Amino acid sequence: MSAAIDIRHLTKRFGALTVLDDISLQIEDGEFVVFLGPSGCGKSTLLRMIAGLEGVDEGEIALGDRRIDPLPPGERGVAMVFQSYALYPHMTVRQNMAFGLENVRTPKDEIERRTDAAAKILEIDHLLDRKPQMLSGGQRQRVAIGRAIVKEPKAFLFDEPLSNLDAALRGRTRLELAQLHQRLGATMIFVTHDQVEAMTLADRIVVMHDRRIEQIGTPMEVYQRPATKFVAGFVGSPAMSMLPVSGVTQGPSGARVTVDGVGDIDTAVPLPPGFAAKGASIGIRAEDTTPSDTGLPLTVDVIERLGDRTLLHGHLPDGSELVAQDTGRSTVTAGDTVRVAVDPHAVHLFDADGRAHHATGAD
Amino acid sequence: MSATTPIQHGHSRTLFWIAVAVSVLMFAPMAWVLVLSFTDNEALSRGTEAAFTGPYTLKNYTDIAGNSGVFRWFVNSLIVGAGQTAGVLVLSSLAGYAFGRLEWPGRKVIFVIVLFGLAVPEQAVIIPRHQIFSTLDLHNTYIGLMLPGMSLPFGVFLMTQFFRAIPPEIDEAALLDNATRWRIFWKVLLPLTLPAQATLGIFTFLFAWNDYWWPLISATDKDMYTLTIGIASSQVNFAQTEGLGFLAAQAVFAALPVLIVYIIFQKHVVTAVSGGAVK
Amino acid sequence: MAAPHRQSRLSNALFAAPYLVVFIALLVVPLIWGIYLSLQKADLFGLYGFTGWTNYARVLNDALFWQSVRNTLLFVVVTVPILVGIGLFLGLALNARTGGAAFMRGVYFSSTVLSVTIVTLIWRFVFIPGDGLLSLAFQAMGWQPIGFLSTEGWSLFSVGVATVWWCIGLPMILILAALQQIPGDLYEAAALDNASRWRTFTRVTLPQIRGTLILVATIQIVMQFQLFGQAQLMTNGGPNGTSRPMVLYIYRAAFENWDVGQGAAASELLFLIILVAAMGQYWVTSRGPRT
Repeated sequence: MSAAIDIRHLTKRFGALTVLDDISLQIEDGEFVVFLGPSGCGKSTLLRMIAGLEGVDEGEIALGDRRIDPLPPGERGVAMVFQSYALYPHMTVRQNMAFGLENVRTPKDEIERRTDAAAKILEIDHLLDRKPQMLSGGQRQRVAIGRAIVKEPKAFLFDEPLSNLDAALRGRTRLELAQLHQRLGATMIFVTHDQVEAMTLADRIVVMHDRRIEQIGTPMEVYQRPATKFVAGFVGSPAMSMLPVSGVTQGPSGARVTVDGVGDIDTAVPLPPGFAAKGASIGIRAEDTTPSDTGLPLTVDVIERLGDRTLLHGHLPDGSELVAQDTGRSTVTAGDTVRVAVDPHAVHLFDADGRAHHATGAD
Repeated sequence: MSATTPIQHGHSRTLFWIAVAVSVLMFAPMAWVLVLSFTDNEALSRGTEAAFTGPYTLKNYTDIAGNSGVFRWFVNSLIVGAGQTAGVLVLSSLAGYAFGRLEWPGRKVIFVIVLFGLAVPEQAVIIPRHQIFSTLDLHNTYIGLMLPGMSLPFGVFLMTQFFRAIPPEIDEAALLDNATRWRIFWKVLLPLTLPAQATLGIFTFLFAWNDYWWPLISATDKDMYTLTIGIASSQVNFAQTEGLGFLAAQAVFAALPVLIVYIIFQKHVVTAVSGGAVK
Repeated sequence: MAAPHRQSRLSNALFAAPYLVVFIALLVVPLIWGIYLSLQKADLFGLYGFTGWTNYARVLNDALFWQSVRNTLLFVVVTVPILVGIGLFLGLALNARTGGAAFMRGVYFSSTVLSVTIVTLIWRFVFIPGDGLLSLAFQAMGWQPIGFLSTEGWSLFSVGVATVWWCIGLPMILILAALQQIPGDLYEAAALDNASRWRTFTRVTLPQIRGTLILVATIQIVMQFQLFGQAQLMTNGGPNGTSRPMVLYIYRAAFENWDVGQGAAASELLFLIILVAAMGQYWVTSRGPRT
């Protein structure tokens, strides 16, 4: 049975406040999709609407060939892992996992079979008779996942499940989740504000901002061909530098962009017909810059050494800020002015509405 | 405390030892009654100095065993205390769930009205209550003795606080686990309120055991007296009583159950009285 | 649309219904009916019609009522500050994580769990002339014995002593709970600021527990206005009504003289006085300068 999720024209309001505005999205059977966005963008609300924990004001949600938005949460065939895990504190691990199955009168031996199997996969079989307060954060996390697995749902919903773990454990669990997805092949939706989690886990990322979907795409698409200025600025670390554009003309290989007080930057971005320079900007990632004898004059304010490379945080003559990259052995010191060359194929051009234009062939 | 922790958060040894000295005033009256209860009645009738000299005896206590009244009152108090406690626990848990966890029209207004009930003194309702119970022929019955205590809002207030403190994700997880509303209440949330149930239960039992005014006017039949009222009736003719030693033994006998409950469950009792107020 | 499981539904109120039925039948209805009764000519056997303010007029013209009001006010004005003061002292003295402090807390709270019957019995064993503990002590010291329970002035005093002994646990526990909520780093900051012990007390401790002190005082005012069992059992209001509190006056009227209307009227007056006193106390204390 297919476990594709089809979300059509979904709108959600809390009183007069609209938190999701006409959202449409198709998720394929077996796909791992990550909802990524800053806090307050509506990503958790969207997940909770799929789970049935929030009502739907307009639009519909289908799972497989069945419309699920009128159904109560328990009958939708989805399982959810909460940020706080929400384990039942008074029940043992085994009882936590069995509770949902008992509610639908699953036969005892079947419950036992599934619980044992899930416990084995997650390596928590030695913890089955403990209560949650005797478990570490990571163990609780596994129990929460186990509780979802035993229900054999069509879709798994994860609401920022890694945010309560320490950094090392988070990295490991991320990997294990990816393995789990390969093993189960189930549809999974994962909500996070952490772009590293999104990049490493997702088949496709849904970037959300201010009640809407900004972009849907593979991690590489989102990173290299961000659809909007917001996506470009939100994904990637350090954030993409944005320079204000005062004029655009046709250059030798694409648009030639004028930045006041800095000069012209030649790009490989084809000049879009009718592109207006007013309000436009050009985006440059640190990794697409190199120190050279010509290029933009960057006065360095702060040096950030990352070992394998060095980030130069500085400003251009017009005052706009730029982050450039140098090798790990950089000798630049704060206060220096260096020249920085920009890869014309890797820059991004944004019009006044924030829509992005990229060089052809960049992937 | 080691010498390396110089700050004792305002605590003073001097104050502590003053409090220890003053506690003699707490102990002395209790000790006095305890000694009287073991002193020979005959000797006491000639003067209570006998408490310091003896002879000492257990006769006052064996006399209680022979006194059917005191035992009957003791059993009455147990029945009323247990019944009232069970009633308060059931009503408060259900209402606490409704007020602390569910949405329904009028919930906020009604909760405020119930809280106002905390401020109504017993004397403002006891006369009409007495009349209602007369009309319903409920005086001198166990139900009649238990019911008024079940109307007190304290338990509802306490349980509402506890239900509110349970994270909402727990209900949501149970919803996704296909649990019905009743099953969520019974299997998931109620077990989490067990500490509160214990606190409220002990507190209610002590309250019922010690209640004075209502049983005084409702239980007029000597066989329906609670121990509290029974002891009061014994001390009315204090001067020409059966004997000070016997009276003292009755006081000890009546105090023992509550003191034992208190000593065992001290922590719960203290939580009950301080829990709701300080938050 | 709200989430289905959080939707407001009338059926959810069913969980509250059993309690609300008891609450309405035994608290709301009696409260309202009490007001109605106070305007009726009524006795044990029934109502004899609306009499307007007659019952109130009879109560207000009764010298015994005014005597009981004076007794009650005196009692409240003396016992409440003593209870709050001793409660504060015990809170400060016993706020330590030692076994000794825990034991002393247990001792000071133990009397609170006793019934009024036992408390009064214990204190009568102390106060009775000739045989009482105090009487023996006075004899040993060669002092003139005092009839604590039967002498004007001393009788209300004796009731007050028994009351403070009985009630001290609650103020102590509430104040202790408030003291334990004060963050320890406040004291560490005060120590680093070279604050003396007294200044730490007045500038850190007191402002932090101010709310609880007000609450404790309010609770005690409401409770002590309802003085009943101690007075009834120890002195029965005597001698000459000098230790008779308002509740005992109400009890006499309604359940001994069976003048239900007059008892109800006196009840409403007491309720009114308690409300005014509690609100007045709250108003005065919560207006003070915030330090």
